[in-house]
Formats: sequence, C-alpha cells, structure tokens
Amino acid sequence: MAFSYRIRLLIVLISLGIIAGGGLMVKKVFIPESFGVYGPYRADAIAEAALVPIRHGTNTSCFKCHAHEAEIHKKGRHQTISCEFCHGTYADHVADGKKIGTLPVKKEKEITTLCLRCHNTEIKARHEEVIKTVAMPDHLKDQHVKITHNCNQCHYVHAPLKYIIRAKQITGLMEAGS
Amino acid sequence: MKILNPSPEMDRRSFVKKVLNGTIAGSLFLAWPMGGGSLETPEEIPGIKGKDYDILNQEFAFIVDITRCIGCGSCCVADKREYNVPDGNYRTWVERYVKGFSDKLYVDSPHGGLDGYQHPRTDIEEEIRDTFFVPKLCNMCKEAPCVQVCPVGATFISPDGFVLVDEKRCVGCAYCIQACPYSVRFLNPITKTAEKCTWCYHRVRKGLLPICVEVCPTGARKFGSMKDETSEVYKILKGPGVLTVLKKEMGTFPALYYKGARREVV
Repeated sequence: MAFSYRIRLLIVLISLGIIAGGGLMVKKVFIPESFGVYGPYRADAIAEAALVPIRHGTNTSCFKCHAHEAEIHKKGRHQTISCEFCHGTYADHVADGKKIGTLPVKKEKEITTLCLRCHNTEIKARHEEVIKTVAMPDHLKDQHVKITHNCNQCHYVHAPLKYIIRAKQITGLMEAGS
Repeated sequence: MKILNPSPEMDRRSFVKKVLNGTIAGSLFLAWPMGGGSLETPEEIPGIKGKDYDILNQEFAFIVDITRCIGCGSCCVADKREYNVPDGNYRTWVERYVKGFSDKLYVDSPHGGLDGYQHPRTDIEEEIRDTFFVPKLCNMCKEAPCVQVCPVGATFISPDGFVLVDEKRCVGCAYCIQACPYSVRFLNPITKTAEKCTWCYHRVRKGLLPICVEVCPTGARKFGSMKDETSEVYKILKGPGVLTVLKKEMGTFPALYYKGARREVV
C-alpha cells in the first residue's frame, strides 16, 4: 500500500500526537499534583504531616480543669514532671472539650515502682545536681518506717516535700514559712 | 447568570481567577495555623502558633544533654503513646552505656527504655568506671542517606529541615531502613510503610515542643528554633560548650547535637 507524501506526514504527526498525549496522560495520572514544588517529593505531604492531631497536650491543658492539683504541682519539686507521663494522654481523657475517659491513677506498689524509675541510686548515671536519689530499702530503714511502706505514705506525689516540710515546721525542725 | 457562549475574554478572566484562587487556597493550606481542635495550647516555640509559617525560612535544632539524662524513659513512654507505636518498634529509645576499667563497653536498652531502668546490670564482672544514658532519635541529617536512597520520593527533607515520610507514596521497600546510619527507621507492621521520629513535626507546627522534650523531667532534651536568638538551643549552640554529633565521619550533618557524649557513643 502506497500512501502519498501528505498522508504519510499526517500519520507521523498523528502518531507523535498520540504518543505525546499519552505521555501527558501518564504523567497526570502517576505524578501527584504537588510533586516538585519544593523538590522531588509531594509537597502536600508536609501539610498532611503538620495536620496530624496531637495526643499529648501540655501541663497547661491539664491545669485548666484540675486547678487544685495545679496549685500544688507548680509549687513542688515535681513541677517539671509532665502530668501525662504518670496519668496517660490528654487524647484518652478529653475530646472536643468533653470528657471521654478516666485516666488511671497509680496505686500502692505501682507508685513505688514509678518513683524508683528516676530516684533509684543503684542506677549510677544519676548525678546529685540533677536528681535526688535514694537506695531502697535503706531509705526506709533510715527514716525508721516499715519496710513495706510505699513512697506516697510520706511523700505527696505532686509535691514530694509538701508534708515533710509541714511536719518539720510543726515539730520546730524548720522555721515556719521557709 | 448562565453564559452559554463565553467570550474568550471572559474565559481568560475566569481562568486567571481560578488559578489565583487555587494558589491562595493552597498557600493558606500550608500557612494556616494548625489549631488543635478545641484544645488550647500554650506557645512553647515562639512565632509559630497563629502566625504565617514561613516554611522556607526556618531552622530547628535538637540538643540532648547526656549529663542530665537519668534514664527514666519518660520520653520513650510519651513517644509510644503519641504515635501508638507498635510494640517492638521505637521512634526514640534510651541506651545505657556502662564502661569498665578495662575500657570494655557494655550497652543495653531493654524494651528501648520503655520500662525505665529499674535495676543495675548484674552481669558485669569488672569494676565500673563510667555509666551514662544516651537517648537516641532521628538526627535530621542535612545530607540524609535515607532521602538519597528512596526510589519513589516518599522520604524527603522539608524546606524547614525535617526529614519526613510520605506514607501515601512509601512502597515499603525498606531501603531507607538499611541506609540510615543511626537505625532510627523501621517498617510499621500495620501500614507496611517506613516510619521514623519526626521531632513531632505536627506539634512543632502547632507551636508545641516535641513530646519527648515536653515530658523530660530533667531538661536533658532541648529543642528550639535557630532563628530565635532567645531560644535555649540557639544560646547553647552559639556558646563555647562542646557539642558533638553522632557518626560525624559519615558526612550526614545532623541537626541533633549531643552534650557530654563520650567518644564511645555512636
């Protein structure tokens, strides 16, 4: 079959058009829209990453409702501790301004275990200027209390020295107001 | 009003309008303050919350102060909760280094430090010379090997310096997991995509500190903007203190610095 020059040219042009159009189609389908805005990746992924909801709030978020604990916590030696570390995440407790669940409160031996996560002298990498550590059960013996005592029987967990300072003030070991 | 046969002029105008609308909407989408729903949060990183976030003009740094780390594992617990990290995988973890007088090194990290370090090591015969904790997380390399090897452009360095993973593009080939010199990446067993520490990008963009920094009781982890001259990290990095990065010889140029790291720390 012999085509004239013009027909052949037309066939070539149409073929090129189909190839180019197909290429453009493939590009449109397979390359995401925001690809290449900042570099060879999907720029929308940045916005998506930024929009992920947070699960932990901050201590300020907790203090908004728990004013009593806030007052004590902020004054005590434990002021740098995050509420959510011991109690659980904000997201498990509040959603859209409404309470959705009760966060667990540590009890008895759990409290001692929790305290010793930080305050155990046996773990050597804990410097005096960073944290006060105690050896167990030596500390209980030194303080002349039962060896079965939990930490929170003397130390109020939110402000560990609260009762101890108060007791010292009452017994005259420490001046009131100090 | 319905125009059946729009003039070319009209058509061009609507086209320009559409493009402009798209561009403005798009830029707003990137710049709009990412409020956390009804949750009111304080401004922990100044200049981000409620302001236009200039993504092209940001720089952040992370400093881990080994001399202050007590190995409580708060960071690990909070991190697991923030992201619901599957068991056995860790976005961040704390290692315990014990050095004997023979210079032999004993390193362990049971459960990545999730349960804290309740007991000292009992399996070491010799006398112990030095012991310390080393928290590990993404180094946010400026020349990131994981980004170089990704065959589909799923992992990238964002213009503000975060190495992120685009879950929608990741095919789970795990090449990046092999490439990372710091072993911070893992394949999420549920989504089958690569996952890593993001320095809590979603929190930073809301003006909050990364959760590990937030919960650290001793201030061993510090994070801040290098564009803010009042930030703690800026002051430390500008100051004379010795800071090191991990595996400097690999030429990855991390934005994560360690203070008080012994030469054995890798």
